[in-house]
Amino acid sequence: MDEKAKDAGGPASMLEAWLKTSSDFWGSAVKMMAAASDVPGVFKPPFYGATGRAQESWEASMKTWRAIAPVMGEPGALEGMIKGIGSMPELLVKLMKPAWDGFLQLQQEYMNRAGRIGKSTTAFKFENLDRDVFKVWTEVYEKEFRQFLRLPQLGLLRVYQEHLSEAADRLNVFEASMAEFLSLVYLPVEKSLKVMQEKLAEMADSGQLPQRSADYYKMWLKTLEGHYMTLFKSPEYNRTVARTLDTMGEFLVAKQRILQDMLQLLPVPTQREMDELYKELYVLKKRIKELEKKLETDRNNYLEEPAVYAHAKEPA
Amino acid sequence: MAEPKIPVDLLLASLAEDAEKVQERAKKASDVLLQPLDTEIATTPYDVVYEEDRVKLKHYRPITDITFNYPLLVVYALINRETMLDLQPGRSVVRTFLNAGLDLYMVDWGYPTRKDKFLTIDDHVNGYMDNIVDFIRKRHNLPKINLMGICMGGTFCVIYSALHAHKIKNLITTVTPTNFDTDQGLLHIWMKHIDADRMVDSLGNMPGDLMNFGFLMLNPARLIVDKYVGFLENMDNKPFVENFIRMEKWIFDSPDVPGETFRQFVKDLYQKNLLIKNRLMVGGNRVDLSRITMPLLNYYGRFDHLVPPAACDQLTKHVGSVDTEDICLDTGHIGIYVSGKSQRQFAPKIIEWLRQRDQPEDENSADIRMQANPRK
Repeated sequence: MDEKAKDAGGPASMLEAWLKTSSDFWGSAVKMMAAASDVPGVFKPPFYGATGRAQESWEASMKTWRAIAPVMGEPGALEGMIKGIGSMPELLVKLMKPAWDGFLQLQQEYMNRAGRIGKSTTAFKFENLDRDVFKVWTEVYEKEFRQFLRLPQLGLLRVYQEHLSEAADRLNVFEASMAEFLSLVYLPVEKSLKVMQEKLAEMADSGQLPQRSADYYKMWLKTLEGHYMTLFKSPEYNRTVARTLDTMGEFLVAKQRILQDMLQLLPVPTQREMDELYKELYVLKKRIKELEKKLETDRNNYLEEPAVYAHAKEPA
Repeated sequence: MAEPKIPVDLLLASLAEDAEKVQERAKKASDVLLQPLDTEIATTPYDVVYEEDRVKLKHYRPITDITFNYPLLVVYALINRETMLDLQPGRSVVRTFLNAGLDLYMVDWGYPTRKDKFLTIDDHVNGYMDNIVDFIRKRHNLPKINLMGICMGGTFCVIYSALHAHKIKNLITTVTPTNFDTDQGLLHIWMKHIDADRMVDSLGNMPGDLMNFGFLMLNPARLIVDKYVGFLENMDNKPFVENFIRMEKWIFDSPDVPGETFRQFVKDLYQKNLLIKNRLMVGGNRVDLSRITMPLLNYYGRFDHLVPPAACDQLTKHVGSVDTEDICLDTGHIGIYVSGKSQRQFAPKIIEWLRQRDQPEDENSADIRMQANPRK
């Protein structure tokens, strides 16, 4: 099999064939359109000039395409293009590698720690919680994933794209904090069940097990309440609540910015504009009320001691 | 760990018995829930006699002769609604006051919207409250009136009384936080950790639902689990269901708190504890508690998990008044107003305390005016 035959099914020859075919097809199409527009009796839109302009533009594009296509079909150019296309997966792999590594690291850490969650905490103790699963996720996200959302944006719409990316970033961080908060809030339920098991075992040994289901519920509720009280006083819980509220606030601000961008296109005032207006109203009303009060005080003073105010006109 | 030897047979027998009871209860409950229920709250008639922005002043229609020289203005918190004082006829502080012949006014703070987010403590105290006090003074031709505050509304009343002492005859504070440097209540612990600036900047006003979620989280075992288990156990009892729904209506009727007020309340009070240190600035004036020279009655609940005793019991030691009294009831934050026991202790004691301090300071002014202008 010679070189030509070997390459017959290769990407270069396929691309060359496609370029030639498409060039011929669009060339014929342009010719047919031009001929059709000259046929007598064929409907022509009232703004024929406008259509003609579109047609001219179309023909110009086609001419450019027909000029480029043969050049692109040259073996040298084709080879370069194919090389470029060929390097795409490599580029993507390079880009994705850190993210994938991060994901694997997270998986590994998660698996390592998931099995230890119950073991590493003891009843009514919340000081040394194994919150590393969330910490690891946040670290991996911040190191590996976040950078994709912080890629510099280009062009006319770069600001809006940046706002979108920022909101996505804030949402991810908020969701991570929220997940940590929810897991923390659920922890007392887990612990109370574990404590119940221990209590029941002790009671069974001493033959004091309750016989009514309501007693078991009361016992569990009391245990649960105790666990919650201990948790809520722990610094870990307070830090998590504060972080969740902070990240929620940051996400809401970023979300608001996107809404603002969208509302700008619509004939409605944005929240920022309304807030500015409210602020102006607030300041104006406050000034008016102060003036009214001052006027009333002056009036009362005048009525009580007119002699003191004799030099001034009587207020209305 | 060995498996506990639970008496499964006994438990199953008990569960079977319970299941029968539940079935019977569910049948009765459906009858109760499907029939008309009286769950209206705040039914005592009143007139709105003053309005400013979202704020209204309610004047309750007297149901007996007015037997007090000085009317009473009640200022509720910005969190939840003043309807709690009039939940139902049998448990209504409002009705107890009216039955005793008190001329009663109450501030309804309304529902703040986004346009109210700039309102500060100064706007509430030196603005709305002062205008309302002046309105009542003018209406009754009196130099002073009685003032009673509830929770955060009590804190506003303390600030107001320090800044406008000459307008207040007697001051009553109920479950009112004034000392915020305590770890007794979870709220005090949590508030020290929150970033009020960030919250207000992102949320505008503080959403009532978010605050309610926070309050539920103070004791989820009781407030999210046990409370509704209790409801299920009693849902065949019509009066219980009606009371329960009334309370649900009140507790989840939560207006938002104006952002700037929330910001100042958290930063200056919860985090810096400026009020009790006489360093709080409101409207450019320092709030000096020693200027509170009128009689002061200070009520609080021993089991209050929102405003614990340590947050309330310092006030009387810091004011300038020589006529002060602390009363700690064995109840919680809401129970002080709605529990049956409190109905017998709380409002009657306030009435008695006010009656003992109802004499006009200047006999040539208020007494004569009251005789010339008796109100019914």
